[in-house]
Amino acid sequence: MTDLRALDELLRAQEGDAGCNAGVPIMDQFVEIELRGEDPSERFPGTAIHLRVCPGCRADHDGVLEAARRFGDLEPD
Amino acid sequence: MSAGRTQTTQRTARGDQVSRRWVEQLHADHPRHEDAAAKLHDVLQRAAFHELRRRRGQLPGLSGPEFDDVAQQCADDAMMKILGHVDEFQGLSRFTTWAYKFVVFEVSNKVARHAWQHHPPSPRELTWDHLPDTLTQRPGDLAERREQIEALSDAIEHELTPRQREVFVAIALNDVSIDVLSLELGSNRNAIYKNLFDARRKLRACLAAAGHPVGAAEEAGT
Repeated sequence: MTDLRALDELLRAQEGDAGCNAGVPIMDQFVEIELRGEDPSERFPGTAIHLRVCPGCRADHDGVLEAARRFGDLEPD
Repeated sequence: MSAGRTQTTQRTARGDQVSRRWVEQLHADHPRHEDAAAKLHDVLQRAAFHELRRRRGQLPGLSGPEFDDVAQQCADDAMMKILGHVDEFQGLSRFTTWAYKFVVFEVSNKVARHAWQHHPPSPRELTWDHLPDTLTQRPGDLAERREQIEALSDAIEHELTPRQREVFVAIALNDVSIDVLSLELGSNRNAIYKNLFDARRKLRACLAAAGHPVGAAEEAGT
C-alpha cells in the first residue's frame, strides 16, 4: 500500500455513511439480498458504505452471512 | 381451531410459509412449542460455536470448558431475546436469518467484553504522541509529502476535540477494536464511530485547507 493510499484509508469518511445503528434492524434483509446474488447497496446504500469502513459492523455482517450460508433455512418441524 | 390459535395465527401471519410456522410454533401456547424451541436453540448453539471460532483471534486464552460456556451463554441469551421479540418479526427475511442475527450480535458483544476485560487499551494507545512509522516522514520524501504529514500531525493535535483525538488515535492509529474502546469509554459502537467519522472528516478538511488534499471523488465534504 502506498503512503498516499494508507493516508486515504486512515482518513476514510464517506458521505452517505449510515452509521452503526442503521444496520442493526436490516442486517438480515441485507444478507438475504446478498444470498440471492443481488446487490444490497441499491436498497441500503448507507449501510453498504458503512460496512466497507466499520470493522465492527463488518464482522457482524460477515457472521450473519456465514451463519445463513452454513446453517441454512431450517424448518421448525 | 380455538380462539387462542386464531389470535396466534393473526399475530404472526407475515413472511414465507416456513417463517410463519417458526413464529407460530415458538409461541408458548402452541402444542409444538417445546420441539420448535429446542430445534432453534440447537442451531443457535452451533452458530454461536462457529462464530466464536471465527473470532478466535480476539479471544486469546479462551478454550475448553470456558469456550463452551461462552457459546452456550450466547445461544441462551439469543434464544431469550428471540422469544421476547418473536412478534416483532416482520417477515422481511427468512426467520432463521433473522434469528442468526441475534446470536451473532450476542457473540459480538461477549467477545468484545472478554477482550476488554483481558486486554484493555493501554494508556499509550489512547494518547496522542506521534504518527505511526508507516506515515512518518522519511529521508528523501518530497517537500510536499513532508508538509502534508506535518499538517496532519498539527491537525490531530490542535483541531480535534479531546474525544475525537482519543478515538482517532486509538482506532485509526493503534488498531484498538471499536467495541473494546466503546467499553473502555463507557460508550457504544455507534457513538464512537460518529466520533471517528467526524475526526476523519475534520482532518481531511484541515489537510485540504492547508493545500494538501487526500483522496479524490469520494472524500468527505469540507
